[in-house]
Amino acid sequence: MPRHIVTLLLLLLTSTSTVSAQQTLRWGADPSGGAPYVYTDPANPDRYIGYEKEMVDALAEAMGRRAEFIPSDWETLVSALQRKSFDIIVNGLEPTGDRAQQIAFSNPYYVFQLQLTVRRDDDRIHSLDDCKKRTVGTLGNTAASRLLQQQGIPFRSYQDPVGAYRDLELKRIDAVVMDVPAEAFYARDNPKLKQAGPPFSRGTYVIGLRKGDDALKAEVDRAIEKMITDGTLEKILTKWKLWNEAQVEFQTSVKTKTPPAIPFEMTNSIFNWGEALLRLTRAALVTVLIALGSMVIAVTLGLPLAVGQWNGPKWLRAVCTVYVEFFRGTPVLVQLLFLYFGLPVIGIAMPGWLTALVGLGLNYAAYESQVYRSALDAIPKGQWEASYSLGMSPLLAFRRIILPQAFRIALPPMTNDFVSLFKDTSVAFAISVWELATAYRELANASGQFLLLGVTVSLFYLAMSLPMAHLARMLEQRLSNRATERHDDAEVPA
Amino acid sequence: MIKVENLRKRFGANEVLKGINFEVPPQTILGVIGASGSGKTTLLRCLNGLETISEGSVTCAGVHLEGGLAAAEYKKRVRALRLKVGTVFQHFYLFPHLSVVGNVIEAPVHVLHTAKKTAETEAYELLESVGMKHAARRYPESLSGGEQQRVAIARALAMHPALLLLDEPTSALDPRRIQTLRGLLRGFAEKGHTMIIISHSIGFLGGVSDNLLYMEGGLVVEHGPTDQVLNSPKDQRVKEFINQAE
Repeated sequence: MPRHIVTLLLLLLTSTSTVSAQQTLRWGADPSGGAPYVYTDPANPDRYIGYEKEMVDALAEAMGRRAEFIPSDWETLVSALQRKSFDIIVNGLEPTGDRAQQIAFSNPYYVFQLQLTVRRDDDRIHSLDDCKKRTVGTLGNTAASRLLQQQGIPFRSYQDPVGAYRDLELKRIDAVVMDVPAEAFYARDNPKLKQAGPPFSRGTYVIGLRKGDDALKAEVDRAIEKMITDGTLEKILTKWKLWNEAQVEFQTSVKTKTPPAIPFEMTNSIFNWGEALLRLTRAALVTVLIALGSMVIAVTLGLPLAVGQWNGPKWLRAVCTVYVEFFRGTPVLVQLLFLYFGLPVIGIAMPGWLTALVGLGLNYAAYESQVYRSALDAIPKGQWEASYSLGMSPLLAFRRIILPQAFRIALPPMTNDFVSLFKDTSVAFAISVWELATAYRELANASGQFLLLGVTVSLFYLAMSLPMAHLARMLEQRLSNRATERHDDAEVPA
Repeated sequence: MIKVENLRKRFGANEVLKGINFEVPPQTILGVIGASGSGKTTLLRCLNGLETISEGSVTCAGVHLEGGLAAAEYKKRVRALRLKVGTVFQHFYLFPHLSVVGNVIEAPVHVLHTAKKTAETEAYELLESVGMKHAARRYPESLSGGEQQRVAIARALAMHPALLLLDEPTSALDPRRIQTLRGLLRGFAEKGHTMIIISHSIGFLGGVSDNLLYMEGGLVVEHGPTDQVLNSPKDQRVKEFINQAE
């Protein structure tokens, strides 16, 4: 090896070790829709800002470390921490009983409350008690979602506050429960929404650590206490308009080392398999509904598309081709997001399940049309000519002679598509439809039962797709058997 | 029964039929003979409306089709003509998704709106006459070429055509079956059917047709009673064709 490369390598090695002389503090949080905790600076998109960003910077400084932010995904923060993607979670994390089984917590650094928000013209809902039979939106896997679950209030989980408040505006849900900081940032100034009742419940934000990282935990706790006593945290919170009575009370109790006057509530998710299976069954039914509904759309709409593209006038052929290429050439996920978030702009706000059903239907119609088209192409021209010479009109020939034959050719690829459509319903999770994939993600995140729930959900999928594949095979076999069986007595002498 | 006058067919600049004239008297069989590329298949496709006539006319059982008509009118007359002219294609084109009897009753039931029962009764009679009644419930894939052809004949006859066209009926048959077919077609002629049979097999046409028509280069070269054309052709080209065939 040439000597200068060795030197270069040595240089690189020494330079990294000088940097790591100052230890890093790798922290994970979800910056998407994450204001005011940590989010992309709208003025400077490659910078993150937020009160927790500033807090962690101060925290790291107090620890003599360099903060390194690892953007992550809220729903999977705990498992990412366990995988050592980062060393601490700082993301408005609430200590909950179920999380306590998986990770360790620092001492609290902030006291949060929850706020219920409704549409401005709504006079039915004044508190959570009025929501027993309505759908409430909230962030998935939060203290708020656990509270709703505990009280038996039907709720929908969102991945960010923006989506939840928008669906509230669009009347897809009736109310939103959110931590006050997020509510203050995303909803308070929205003229179409209003607060329903005062803030309620009282919980704390803590920093999440891996179990066994005791030295780091002690270091973090010391740094939190220092930030509180020397006023650094107060300064940051004041800057972000998050300084309030609850913080005064809390910080005083820390400074004077006395317990707080009002105890903090710790929500526990009550995970039991009976309930999980029930919710999974509901999710499975939604999955089947979406799959069947969209297949009906695909099969029905596919035919005119195929015929138009195959034998229509020039303009119609162009229209059909554009349709097919558009839906085949763009990801179904993007199409769903467009239907869900884009269409409301022009006044069409469908509920999530219907959006998924229509979206997948429109998408698969493009694929089915191509299956039909190649099946139609596969019918020999002679079949048309024989029909015509028997006096049939083109329409009659198509309906009675061509279509039945094309159907037999199209059947195997169609059933194939149906099985894959069935699995594609999982993209509906992007628009918060409670189907199997969503159910898996949320139940697993809330319980940590990734493995067992994963196996269960897979079994659910298999229990539905295997009979379908079997049915398809039987259908195909019956069609082809008819031909072979008949062949046995074929050579009867003429 | 059918009268063809000055029939011309052009594909772009290429004229395939250059003015064909002939007539087929009722209850006779006309054999059309000629080498490949002589235009005989195009002629047949003009007679059942699968090709659009460029010039001239075809008259069959009261339907008059001529070149140069307005598209809508032409279409209407083609539909009428097709009800008068039945076709048995070289490759039969049976409907594979329908049983043998289903093939035969399809057009009577859906085009002529004959009651299904009536159509079936008649279909069984026709299948019996072509010796295929035993296979009525079977599907085309399971039939031999000869059997498929006989079903195709029954299917065409079920529409009571005034004229039956057969395109290269011997191409898929072995010699024994050709013999059977000849007997079958003669029988139908005696029962009053009129037919045009296109073939390049002189042997077959010689035994079955009343008249022969020899085509070459899109023109009728010779047309007359079968014996006369075969034994004393006037045209040298016909003589050579016959000699080569022997």
